[in-house]
Amino acid sequence: MKPGRKVVVLGVGLHPFGRFPDLGLPELARPAVAQALDDADVQWKDVQAAYFGHVYYQGMSLGEVTLRSIGLSGIPVINVENACSSGSTAFWQAYWGIASGVFDLALAFGAEKVPRGPVAVNSDDDPERFTGADHMMAAYALKAQRYIHKHSASLESLAEVAVKAHDNAILNPNSHYKKAFTVAEVLESRPIADPLTLYQCCPTSEGAAAAILCAEEEAARFGAGLGRSVSIEASVLASGTYSPQGSDHAALNPYRAEFAARQAYEMSSLGPGDMELIQVHDAATIGEIEHMEALGIVKEGEGWVASSAGRTRIGGDIPTNTDGGLLAMGHPFGASGIRMVHEVVTQMRGEATGRQVISPRSGGPPRVGIAHCSGAGDVTTVHILKR
Amino acid sequence: MPVSQPCRVSASPSKLKLLDQAGAQGTLLGSRCILCDSHTFGAVPSCQACYSTEVESVELGAEGTLYSYTIVRTPPPGWQGEVPYLLGQVELPQGPHVVSQVVDCPPEHLHIGMKMLLHLDEVGSSDPNNDEVMVIFKWRPIV
Repeated sequence: MKPGRKVVVLGVGLHPFGRFPDLGLPELARPAVAQALDDADVQWKDVQAAYFGHVYYQGMSLGEVTLRSIGLSGIPVINVENACSSGSTAFWQAYWGIASGVFDLALAFGAEKVPRGPVAVNSDDDPERFTGADHMMAAYALKAQRYIHKHSASLESLAEVAVKAHDNAILNPNSHYKKAFTVAEVLESRPIADPLTLYQCCPTSEGAAAAILCAEEEAARFGAGLGRSVSIEASVLASGTYSPQGSDHAALNPYRAEFAARQAYEMSSLGPGDMELIQVHDAATIGEIEHMEALGIVKEGEGWVASSAGRTRIGGDIPTNTDGGLLAMGHPFGASGIRMVHEVVTQMRGEATGRQVISPRSGGPPRVGIAHCSGAGDVTTVHILKR
Repeated sequence: MPVSQPCRVSASPSKLKLLDQAGAQGTLLGSRCILCDSHTFGAVPSCQACYSTEVESVELGAEGTLYSYTIVRTPPPGWQGEVPYLLGQVELPQGPHVVSQVVDCPPEHLHIGMKMLLHLDEVGSSDPNNDEVMVIFKWRPIV
């Protein structure tokens, strides 16, 4: 589906990612929202709907609780839980709310305080907890082992994904981690599930991100200029499709992002070859490699080669996860999808100081970018942005 | 006084059926679509591929082929078993994959493509006041 009404991102905001034991979820989220409003140059009274992505239960109606200190404007506030794609699902809802003509200006935001330790997906009374399979990083490890077997990929090429992520995060003042690692240090870090080591798995983080979306034709009515806006060319949300491997465990089917990516390319009339900036769901190193392949950015089996060759670095031809990604920027589930949009918008405006991508095609900031999120369940979102 | 033998019951009745009174033998369970022949692991009320409700329960057997594996060295929250443990993703002849712990196998013997056999593992009692013991599906290599 391609709606006639064009929707733009007017502004973005972020609370740094990390650990903030003294801050509750509303305290993390509010500064991100305030920043996005400022950045968009619109007023709280102009926001007609708000969508809030978060996963862990920390009380009812947290979106409403968070926003009430900004002002009780009576707008609809929707709390969104869609696993690691919760933030990007909130963004998708805001997009379609405006594209369909119901709203003209909306807020999408996400925040999370993820508990420490390995992440399980099933409920505590599920008898399958005894199988040892309810372990997100073990599922990624199964994919990694199979990928290495099938494509003769090197362990070093996987580790290089983490090395690159941390190199990028050092250049990002908002990232959870700011420390460089060598390939050897990544491979020698604490083993999680072979072949994945600690630095090949994303941390559990706290943080928040926000975006203000607006109908392009209505921006002037809110006093907002379009000079710094970025247009949304595609917004796709997909759930699982049949695979005998089992659609009940998100991480098992490596190429499930293809289904959503195909729809996004069709909706935008753009293709993988047009992407000058890529944000993919790198919950583990193998995730970045396989998702790059699923999005068609590289051919199947060539993701690890692209990583080894440095093509995904900021100076490469397919710069990927330029803010450090989930691996080093951090992964507060509800915020991550909007954090990706934040990075794409920042890069497209040429404001990513210290880590700015210069497109080899234009000699300037990237003009077309893609953001992909993957969540247990399974949930996939793909957004294509353009400036 | 005779010691009563604890009775084994499946901890996951939609995915595992015990085949004899003692619960020594078992089969994995699934569904087959009568219209499109797609299989799923675990009983489902309709076909996940074509959405037909013309599905039948089938026994998926007790054997498969190792599709991938990992040695889990940092366990999930609440894991009661030993660490590290082996985890295998096993492809059944009908297509579905079943992921569970691999027992009775030295880690260095694991290789993709090896034949695997269903292993019924006792995981505790559902109710301390009766003598039922729950069993779950795991894997071990066919030697």
